[in-house]
Amino acid sequence: MNLKKLLYIDRRIIYLVVAIGALIPIIRPIGLPVVPTEPVIGLFDKLQSLSPGDAVIISYDYGPSSEPELNPMSAAILRHCFHRDIRVIIMAIFPLGGVNMAIRQLERVTGEFEDLEYGTDFVNLGYKDGGQAPMKAMAVSIREVFPNDVDGNDTASMPIMSKVQNYDDVKVVISLATGIIGEWWADLVNAQFDVPVAVGCTAVSAPKYYAFLRSNQMIAVLGGLRGASEYEELLRRNFEWAREVYSDPDEMKQSATTGMDVQSIIHVIIIAFIIFGNVMYFATGKEKGR
Amino acid sequence: MQPLGLSIGVWVNALLTLCILSFLYKDNPFFRFAESLFAGMSLGYYIGIVTVQTLQPNLIQPLSETFFGNYNYLLLIPMALGIMLYFRYIPRISWLARIALAVYIGYYVGVLMMQKIHGQVLPQTRDTIMPVTTGGIGALWNLVVIIGVFSVLVYFYFSVEHKGVVGKVSRVGIWFLMVSFGASFGYTIMARISLLMGRFSFLVNNWIRPMFGS
Amino acid sequence: MRRTIPLVLTFLVGMYPIFAFFVPHATVSGVNQWLDKALVIVAAFALPLGVVNLVGMNLEKIKQRRAGWPYAIVLLAGLAVMAYFGVIGVIKGDTGFHPTFEVLFESMVSPLQATMFSLLAFYVASAAYRAFRARNVEATILLVAAIIVMMGRIPFGDMLTGGRMTPLSEWIMNKPNAAAQRGIIIGAALGAASMSIRVILGIERTYLGKSRD
Repeated sequence: MNLKKLLYIDRRIIYLVVAIGALIPIIRPIGLPVVPTEPVIGLFDKLQSLSPGDAVIISYDYGPSSEPELNPMSAAILRHCFHRDIRVIIMAIFPLGGVNMAIRQLERVTGEFEDLEYGTDFVNLGYKDGGQAPMKAMAVSIREVFPNDVDGNDTASMPIMSKVQNYDDVKVVISLATGIIGEWWADLVNAQFDVPVAVGCTAVSAPKYYAFLRSNQMIAVLGGLRGASEYEELLRRNFEWAREVYSDPDEMKQSATTGMDVQSIIHVIIIAFIIFGNVMYFATGKEKGR
Repeated sequence: MQPLGLSIGVWVNALLTLCILSFLYKDNPFFRFAESLFAGMSLGYYIGIVTVQTLQPNLIQPLSETFFGNYNYLLLIPMALGIMLYFRYIPRISWLARIALAVYIGYYVGVLMMQKIHGQVLPQTRDTIMPVTTGGIGALWNLVVIIGVFSVLVYFYFSVEHKGVVGKVSRVGIWFLMVSFGASFGYTIMARISLLMGRFSFLVNNWIRPMFGS
Repeated sequence: MRRTIPLVLTFLVGMYPIFAFFVPHATVSGVNQWLDKALVIVAAFALPLGVVNLVGMNLEKIKQRRAGWPYAIVLLAGLAVMAYFGVIGVIKGDTGFHPTFEVLFESMVSPLQATMFSLLAFYVASAAYRAFRARNVEATILLVAAIIVMMGRIPFGDMLTGGRMTPLSEWIMNKPNAAAQRGIIIGAALGAASMSIRVILGIERTYLGKSRD
């Protein structure tokens, strides 16, 4: 066998192997179990400790490029909040699609609850430009930063906003973030205004956020699809309603737990590629007498 | 097979996805068409979202509804600064754009400075001060973290040549960095695969399966 | 004068948030709060700044029939359609998004962006096979850490090692990884803070562009 040919195989064959590895578990899910870890349990415990009527902010700081990782996380957190009667204030700082992610997720989850009232139990404030500028301004008055909600309705007339003036009235800020925005919530809002911050982030950002987790600038980090699947597992272990929701076939297709099947197969493929590539590399080196 | 049972939106979504994925075989006009469309529509989206979500509620509405109430007339200042940013494209008055840029940049570097010092340097340094003689195995791991932070900071200190003791400490820093980069690589793989899974899941569950009635 | 005024403004506006951070006086805080709200509006104008440049470049490309000019038409058409539906509601005095704007986002912008980024999965797999080599000690440490963390993130890892992979992976993330990231964070933060001081004090002036005055 020509080892050199194997070492420099056409990359399209590699792409094909990856594509097949991704398609198989989508067509036939496996359903592998996931074990929750401490960084994720932190958010679950925090929400469990809140009383009905307490308010949280969920900031949709991601766009379509991070949907598969953060949508399942968002759905799980929203369900948890609504089942515990926690008031949810939705907003977005990420310009390319954050507000649309929020609209879509709210439509998906609120449809499961008959007695939720917009403006009383939850509100979507929409997107605001400026990054750190609105984050700082919200410490004084959230309504002044968001005079209207996402559809242009006056927020001053909403019961939920009469009870939540600024960060003092918010129990935790949950940022579902791609890129640097999750970090801003920790090093600006938590550092300067002492608001607990939890971040659900893409897996790319997660390694960095462990440093913030250790220094208690974040109370929880949900890293990528694994973090989302761990949160779903926590809900399933603790609530009957969650076991019902996540056993629905349509919901299962969108859940993080199903996504972990694809992760598992592809990770194994890539580890095999790394090992095989290195074995070939050293073998061709021996051939040449290196 | 029920291709017409699917909405136009699903078809457009699926076809654009395939146009982008076709790049994996080789560069082609379908990919370039989709790429250009993406660039243009993303910019158009920015214009829309900025207008509807910020300019309308925070500027246009207050000025048009209560100009004198609540000191709303002061909003003319940021409005003027914002418009002045675009003067850079008019050569005769392009120098005015620098005034707006000075305010914009000045504000954000001022905020950033406090954010970095107060929000990153101090808390991260504070948390690195940990006990290393009490606490059992935890003390050993604390020592690992302290050595890691210190050696990485020595590695990034380029004002002193990395030889002798400094060289050995910075080498340890490199090892810690390699562990971190390896961890980041592992997590990055997970992130990229998630994106792929999302698209394939759409193609299979929202396009192909409904087309065949399952 | 045309460079002095901006430099003075940068100093005054840049120092103010720092000053207000340490002085909790009501008037000082009040001005700072107004500044926060004002910059939300300035940032809104700044975000589409690149659009003007891009439109100009693409119009030039079409005019001169340079290579790829039909795609410039596609780009401008996409921009025009999306921007039209984005602002038409505001012009008419409506609030909220125009329905077509949302439909175009859901069926076109969203899948285009998502798919563009999903290509990276293939590139990463190709790079893993063709480029990641344990050539020296450092590269070996990187690869070993990567493999442990990757196995720890998937259920297979625990299944093959009797539940040990997740705790090992978490240890790597919480100890050596967090330590290295902390070093990077502190170093980068000090660098950013010193750059901020340089800009505020007028030592760093590249943001003002070339002086033609």
